[in-house]
Amino acid sequence: MLASKLTMTHLLRRSLIHRRARSLSALVALTVSAGVATALLTLYAGLDAKLHHEFRSFGANIVITAPTTSALPANALAQVKTAAGDDALAAAFGYAVATTDRGTPVVVSGTDFAAVKKLDAWWSVDAWPSELDTNAALLGQRAANFVANEHEVKLTFAGKPLVLHGVGRLKTGGDEDSRIYMPMAAFTSWTGTGTSVIEVQVPGGAAKVEAAISRLQHALPGMTVQPVRQLVEGESRIVDRTHTLMYAAVMLIALTVGVSVLATLSASVLERRRDFALMKALGGSQAQLIALFLLEALLLALAGVVAGYIVGSALAWAISEGNFGTATLPRLGVLPLVLLLNLAIAVMAALFPARVLRGLQPAALLKGE
Amino acid sequence: MIELNGVTREYAGHGSTVRALDHATFDIHTGEWVAITGPSGSGKSTLVNLLGCLDRPTSGELKIDGVDVSTMSSGDLNRFRSDKIGFIFQQFHLIPYLSAVENVMLAQYFHSMTDENEAKMALEKVGLGSRISHLPSELSGGEQQRVCIARALINNPPILLADEPTGNLDATNQKIVANLLGELHRYGHTIVMVTHDPEMAALAQRKIALSHGKVFCHPTSAARMVRLQR
Repeated sequence: MLASKLTMTHLLRRSLIHRRARSLSALVALTVSAGVATALLTLYAGLDAKLHHEFRSFGANIVITAPTTSALPANALAQVKTAAGDDALAAAFGYAVATTDRGTPVVVSGTDFAAVKKLDAWWSVDAWPSELDTNAALLGQRAANFVANEHEVKLTFAGKPLVLHGVGRLKTGGDEDSRIYMPMAAFTSWTGTGTSVIEVQVPGGAAKVEAAISRLQHALPGMTVQPVRQLVEGESRIVDRTHTLMYAAVMLIALTVGVSVLATLSASVLERRRDFALMKALGGSQAQLIALFLLEALLLALAGVVAGYIVGSALAWAISEGNFGTATLPRLGVLPLVLLLNLAIAVMAALFPARVLRGLQPAALLKGE
Repeated sequence: MIELNGVTREYAGHGSTVRALDHATFDIHTGEWVAITGPSGSGKSTLVNLLGCLDRPTSGELKIDGVDVSTMSSGDLNRFRSDKIGFIFQQFHLIPYLSAVENVMLAQYFHSMTDENEAKMALEKVGLGSRISHLPSELSGGEQQRVCIARALINNPPILLADEPTGNLDATNQKIVANLLGELHRYGHTIVMVTHDPEMAALAQRKIALSHGKVFCHPTSAARMVRLQR
């Protein structure tokens, strides 16, 4: 089709279509950069929440204990919940050493099964006791071997016998496997002791945990409030490293794509040196020719952003679904960053070819030298 | 009027300086048809580049229509070139993704404003009225050269610089192009033509021979002019 007017848009379109293999190669590179940047930035935006959600399943990150000479106050759990915040999880534990019907000493712990089920979601339990069952017991894997009958758990504490019925078994690979858990109310009435430890799970990174510890220390003076260091520091370290890794990946990909686009655009200028030389001979100014070339690069970068945003958002959704079990919706907020990145790549990659363009000698080129 | 006064062009390279054009002094009058001849390496292309404002002399004065182009800025030289000079190349140099008419319009685009009707008329003038929408790859060598001539004419420049205009053409197309140049000369265009071909050179009013960068001018051959005008 003929153009009634020859415009820069027309020249650009025809040039891009005519060199479709080169244009496509640059477009693919720029789509990859925009796609990966979109995916990583979309994931990055929801990463903290997702990682904190993952870490939450690892259990408590703060432990509150009473000094050896005293017990935690009766209202300690309520105070912890107030100080730690609505989104924190907490469970109280009381401990006593009883004797089984086989004469084996065993640690018996009184607790609230519903709270523990939420707090220690990582525990492997075949059947959790019901909250209504006041005489139920949860037996640790090893502790189950200390009793004669798992369904009729006979225990003695300070000469006071107690019969519980085992509901399920617990397996953690830790100390919990050697304990027998029972409801707190029955434990208190049997042993005469109350809460000695409260485990708390505060969502968020190290800073949030430190802030919660400070509030808890203020609310429970004289009690020992300690973070589960390995977990808190581990979480913080993993979050930081993941952020660094994502930034590094975006930069690395940007660099790789930049080199690829540079090669494509350089080749594009070199193979069209005579066309540009002709345009110069026909009166085309330096600015007109560089504008024509830069616009071509920017047009490809913009098309790459559109395609890359769609591909990247889909990629982020798939990665999130596969790794965290939740879908990550496209975020319009990442679009300006992706656009900036791709335009920067295109402009940087176009600088060298633009230099070549500036140094073109139409006389020599048009003579075929 | 083109005036050269002691024009020298030197190129530096590999630790030495090559003098491609050595103190060239001559005039080309308005409406004149001049052939520039000489063996390879004699300085023909250098001279055409200077006359076409694609290059600047190392020393000397080069005036076109009274304007010294050797001291012009690049921007001014671009403007001056698109106003005053039309190029006809041996290798045509058409943009491969633009049709014949769009290639002609390209010269308008860099000069002022594009006008499709004017571009069509220029193509009709060179006998390509029925080939306006064809791409260069769909045209023969002779047709491509005629598109190149139409493009050179579209901004109505007073000077046409033709560098071996028939160098890539067969005898039939060579004749067509030669006739077109003759016609343009009759319309008043100044034609400066580089050629190796004695037949083409014979069509010109005057020959400027170059050897080792030095210029030797020959008078007009009246008999050949009469033949051309017929």
